[in-house]
Amino acid sequence: MKALRFIFYILLVVMMPVVFYMALVWVPPAMGLGDASRILYFHVPVAWSSVLAFLAAGYYSVRYLAKEDYRYELYAWNAAFTGLVYSTLTVVTGSIWAHISWNIWWNWDPRETSAVILLLIYIAYISLYSSLKERPGRGKISAVYLIIAAVVMPFLVFIIPRIYWSLHPDMIFNTKNKFDMESSMRITLFTSMGVFTLLYFFIINLMNRTAVLEKKIQEKIHDN
Amino acid sequence: MENRIYKHLKKDILVEFRNRSAVNISFAFAGITTIAVSLASGGIRLDANIQSILFWIIIFFSGMSGLAHTFIREEEERTALFLAIHSIPEEVYISKLLFNLVFFIFIALVVSPLYIFFMHAIPVHFTHFCLTVLFGSIAIASVSTILGAIVSKAENRGTLFTVISFPLMLPVLWIAIMNTTASLEPGAAPGFQSILFLLAFSGVIISASYLSFKFIWME
Repeated sequence: MKALRFIFYILLVVMMPVVFYMALVWVPPAMGLGDASRILYFHVPVAWSSVLAFLAAGYYSVRYLAKEDYRYELYAWNAAFTGLVYSTLTVVTGSIWAHISWNIWWNWDPRETSAVILLLIYIAYISLYSSLKERPGRGKISAVYLIIAAVVMPFLVFIIPRIYWSLHPDMIFNTKNKFDMESSMRITLFTSMGVFTLLYFFIINLMNRTAVLEKKIQEKIHDN
Repeated sequence: MENRIYKHLKKDILVEFRNRSAVNISFAFAGITTIAVSLASGGIRLDANIQSILFWIIIFFSGMSGLAHTFIREEEERTALFLAIHSIPEEVYISKLLFNLVFFIFIALVVSPLYIFFMHAIPVHFTHFCLTVLFGSIAIASVSTILGAIVSKAENRGTLFTVISFPLMLPVLWIAIMNTTASLEPGAAPGFQSILFLLAFSGVIISASYLSFKFIWME
């Protein structure tokens, strides 16, 4: 397990600078958008990470309801919190990109709207969690909310943008209405998504371990 | 089980119609806002898009006060514990869901003709309009049933219900608004993809709620 973790860290430490090099230097800029288009290699992975956070929050919530282990409640909270941060970054980077390509900061494109709704769901979860303070069923009730949110997420991220016409990325990077990027761009994008996935797991793992340790310390102080 | 669900549903309907607070407020809200919007617009013929936005906003807020009420009432009148001992959670969930479905469809049935009459919003594709209203109402009632159960266990219920329900209902409102716009426009050819979306959305929410309801109810 330790060896695996070591390989994971090494991979992350080595690959992150590689992704930055590929995105900022190696890959050619998109036609018509110039160097500003390089934000794509950070915007898409960040959006992908916010979806991962949703799935992680749903997964930990199911585990919490099944096992009633307090650690999963903490993990679900951490996943939702990282989701909130990643969704905010998605909205901000998306808005910058929208301004570069369409000369408008915000235009309620289906994908933009989906990202904002994801952000609102995380905010709603945090409001719910705080209003259940001191209640014994806090973990279970908020876990159910995260599960409901996790089943709504695919409708927002994968279905709505395909039902309604969107300016989002298909129209910009291809003319055949298919995922048709230049190979160097595709390699860079997928490498970046892979490394950002590793980064997400690194962050959530670190947060989870810290949260469990904090809880144990609090209990020890309380016992004394 | 069906018999007990029927008894729960009958009890909820009787309690609600004897008390009539939620029903009265919802219908009064629906009527007043429709007339207020019509008055404010001064008889101007609005675009199909604006018509459908206003229509769904009125439906959404008319139902909001009543939908969470079914669970909150059980907590406020301290009958939730008795219900939890007396019935299995799945029965309670199904009966409350059916109550909310009936309640919301009833609201939509009152708002729709009022809105069509006062706002001159005559649907060109009538079947499509009816299906959108029906399945949109089912989707909103499905989400609000489980969220009503969640907020009934929390503090600041009224405000919290709006905060937690709005983001989860936005996809439904979004699709319903676009669909209603298409059904009001003469040149539009509304597809059934979005009707399917509303149906699938309700199905997924009801399934997840049915499986997880006991974890909220037994707290």
